[in-house]
Amino acid sequence: MRPPRVGIGWRPEIDLSVERLRPDFVEIPAEDVDPRRIPESLRLLRGSGTPVLPHAVSLSLGGAEPLRLDRVRHLAEVAEAVEAPLVSDHVAYTGAGRWDAGHLLPLPRTRDALDVLVENVLVAQEALPVPLALENIAALVEWPGAELGEAEFLARLVERTGCRLILDVANLHGNAHNPGTDPQEFLAALPLERIAYVHVGGGIVRDGVYYDTHAHPVVPEVLELLADLNSRTELPGVLLERDDRFPADAELAAELAAIREALR
Amino acid sequence: MRRDQRQRLAAQQAELVAALVRGGEEPAGFDGEQLRVQREMLVGKRRRLVERLRPDLAERLGDRFRGLFDSYAAEHPRPRGSGVRDDAGAFTRWLRHHGHLRRRWFRRG
Repeated sequence: MRPPRVGIGWRPEIDLSVERLRPDFVEIPAEDVDPRRIPESLRLLRGSGTPVLPHAVSLSLGGAEPLRLDRVRHLAEVAEAVEAPLVSDHVAYTGAGRWDAGHLLPLPRTRDALDVLVENVLVAQEALPVPLALENIAALVEWPGAELGEAEFLARLVERTGCRLILDVANLHGNAHNPGTDPQEFLAALPLERIAYVHVGGGIVRDGVYYDTHAHPVVPEVLELLADLNSRTELPGVLLERDDRFPADAELAAELAAIREALR
Repeated sequence: MRRDQRQRLAAQQAELVAALVRGGEEPAGFDGEQLRVQREMLVGKRRRLVERLRPDLAERLGDRFRGLFDSYAAEHPRPRGSGVRDDAGAFTRWLRHHGHLRRRWFRRG
């Protein structure tokens, strides 16, 4: 059994650090990349054989309003430009009516919401040149009237669309800390064989609430969840996300080392 | 997939977003404390993104930046499809309109 690949989220602010850290793969923020002008750093990484995976936040696949096909096409073009094996977005919506939330909001876990999500995902898959993976988000609010459990909702989504999953263990930890998901139950009910890779990110507790900031170190509980998950299934890869308050290379390297340690 | 499913979901989703970004009525069945936490998180994210794009603005406003931005944001939710640059531009106009920013042109002589 080969150990999972360990990657890091490429961001323009840490492009040189990412190159120096020699990750097994990188993820790029799909909306920020112009497919006709791929940054040199990414071309170098591609040239050295590092897979580059576009990760989107704007498709709003769980939104009830018509899917923005221009955004799906942009994601498809970025995927082609970097020869990505896979693209991704989230199980979420980002706005409704006149207003943009500017963030990923949770979906109600109802059959209506699942049907809408499935339909949007099927349309997106048609327009994408490579497989699509969908990620669990960190929810700060819980919808009333859930008809399905969290893992059940994702399992049905996978069953009906054939999509892959990105399992974010920091988001899972956040949901365990905040709305009170049971991570053990969640992992036991999830189709783990559909995981494309895992996300690990930092966060912070303020006033008793865990915030998934990607601007702070990874908390030990998240690494414990990663180790637990790793003991249940053969993980293809794990990726560290950092979006703000970028630390020195040594600190990023230490976070990657801690991830590798949790995977032993 | 029936049309009424989408319509029902669209109404629910719009109600939650309105409650979170423009002080709309709290939708039934939600936890008030969770809504408050989510609302503050959203405005905090908006503020940090604008601050990253326009550190000069944050510097000029100093301690007033946070309070002023949050007042602006409460009155002006981000329209669909707008980005951080639009937000920063609208915030700057709002500041000028309310007299919080004096124009500082370069002066000669």
